[in-house]
Amino acid sequence: MSEGPAQTIVLQSNDNVAITVERKVAERSMLIKNMLEDLAGSELDSAIPIPNVNESVLKKVIEWCEHHKNDPQTAADDDSDSRKKTTDIEEWDQKFMQVDQEMLFEIILASNYLDIKPLLDVGCKTVANMIKGKSPEEIRKTFNITNDFTPEEEEQIRRENEWAEDR
Amino acid sequence: LADLLNLCTSQQLSFVRQYVDPLLKKDPFTSLPNEICLRVLSCIDDPKVLARASQVSQRWRELLADDVTWMKLCAKHDYGRRMSEAHITTPPFSSLRPPPNPIHGYFDGEGTYSFPSAIAAAPHIQRNSRSFDSATSSAVLRRPKMRSYKSHFKQRYLVETAWKTGGRNIARHITQDQGVVTSLHLTPKYIVVALDNAKIHVFNTDGNAQKTLQGHVMGVWAMVPWEDTLVSGGCDRDVRVWDMATGESIHTLRGHTSTVRCLKMSDANTAISGSRDTTLRVWDIKTGLCKNVLVGHQASVRCLEIKGDIVVSGSYDTTARVWSISEGRCLRTLSGHFSQIYAIAFDGNRIATGSLDTSVRIWDPNDGSCQAILQGHTSLVGQLQMRGNTLVTGGSDGSVRVWSLEKMAPIHRLAAHDNSVTSLQFDDTRVVSGGSDGRVKVWDLKTGLLVRELTAPADAVWRVAFEEEKCVVMASRSNRTIMEVWSFSPPEEQLM
Repeated sequence: MSEGPAQTIVLQSNDNVAITVERKVAERSMLIKNMLEDLAGSELDSAIPIPNVNESVLKKVIEWCEHHKNDPQTAADDDSDSRKKTTDIEEWDQKFMQVDQEMLFEIILASNYLDIKPLLDVGCKTVANMIKGKSPEEIRKTFNITNDFTPEEEEQIRRENEWAEDR
Repeated sequence: LADLLNLCTSQQLSFVRQYVDPLLKKDPFTSLPNEICLRVLSCIDDPKVLARASQVSQRWRELLADDVTWMKLCAKHDYGRRMSEAHITTPPFSSLRPPPNPIHGYFDGEGTYSFPSAIAAAPHIQRNSRSFDSATSSAVLRRPKMRSYKSHFKQRYLVETAWKTGGRNIARHITQDQGVVTSLHLTPKYIVVALDNAKIHVFNTDGNAQKTLQGHVMGVWAMVPWEDTLVSGGCDRDVRVWDMATGESIHTLRGHTSTVRCLKMSDANTAISGSRDTTLRVWDIKTGLCKNVLVGHQASVRCLEIKGDIVVSGSYDTTARVWSISEGRCLRTLSGHFSQIYAIAFDGNRIATGSLDTSVRIWDPNDGSCQAILQGHTSLVGQLQMRGNTLVTGGSDGSVRVWSLEKMAPIHRLAAHDNSVTSLQFDDTRVVSGGSDGRVKVWDLKTGLLVRELTAPADAVWRVAFEEEKCVVMASRSNRTIMEVWSFSPPEEQLM
């Protein structure tokens, strides 16, 4: 609140809703951050259009950025930590991701487009967690997927994958 | 719509819910682009989950067939690939494949393929590279179809699982009488066992007897294999050169005036022996001539290690010495231990020594300075292996310690055995220790946790040696010397 007016920018969703956000929050998106850096010096009076994201998703993404605005910036592109515990998600993020699947996938797509790596990771981990510990049939139920294998194919694939099951 | 729902009874609402719920569900792998789908899959490190996921639908199966996921899984599990298998069949999503194969990192350096060096001896780098080809080609011969990361992962996963809970083993009685096993080597071709009853037994890697090398008249205390050649020495003061393929004795090298206690080879023609007579001798095993006598130690030479033109020796005179093989002279004397040195490791950059004074010292071979004193053992440190920045030591106190040579500090302290640690070996994944308490224990190198106890407890375990899919245990059971050969290779039909 005490920060000057230059510290906020306006984002425009693809359904033409203008949303004002703190610049620092918006800069969690590497796409926006780079854009703002390219524009450095020039006047920023118009809204930045975000053509691939609608209002509800954009708001959700901003909510995440708001909460994580003080996180340390992760190094450009390190997959090194992907080798660590892969599906641990902090509590706030877990709650944040309790949305319907449509929204979850939209958030993943938006974070990919906006280049917000940590959010993309949380999204992917959330989906991974929905897959874990389930039988193929349970996975199908979870995501309403039709089994399009013939019984013969199904049996063959089951045998192909038997090695990974506990014996 | 809201008004309409407000009019509904709860029964009607639950009907609506049953109807609506599935509609809210979506297949992530048809909603998201491949690139993100694979990112999701890369979050999964349990192959069981991936195997089940591939049974969901055609689309899921197609995604799961992508080798990038399995490549990442290989990386997560530290399943390095051997070079010759690193080519991959046509990638379904080639644009997603990172250009340089990141897994190469795991086997570029030394010791990714852990050639079984002598127990308690540091791996010979030069020997590693030599044995790499033969080992690899034999593995490829056995499994010509191993191409993709998925099949590689599967193979390694099955091996790892067998190490944890499975494995098959055969047991053999070695001698009629009760011989103490003094030395054991596992090579790509042979299992070689030396006994204190003067005999050396040669087996193939399945544990079938091939030859018995007879000629020594007293206990054999040291030996070193090099392809088909074996060099051995012992109480009768002779160093003998054998052809293991024919069983023939090629040379008897005379010169030492007391028990030969340690032996190593620096190349196919050169063997170096250390003796209780305080000297080391450099032998040309092709001509059978002694090329040099390295004089300087004041007491028995107990252990030695070679790297390039340098041989380092540890002695009961409490010092270690650094020698030039070609010049035949002592370059440096490493003084500091308060008691006899029993074990030595050397990789060209560092020397590690284990002593009766209970400490381990790390030395710089270039200036002879002592870089660190590693303390913690409460008794003789007789077992030592160094690999990169990791040192593993075993003591008569029964404990096994894993040290970081970057921090010069302990990483794990394993309460391994009730009595002396008689044998010790480690690779990137595990430590295997044998003790005079008759037990063989397999430890996770990274976590320091006990993975399993291999084999039923024996009276004593003399020696243990292992490689990726095999482990050989020499033990005493009911006053008989037995050899157990464990195999962790998955059965052929499982790899189809």
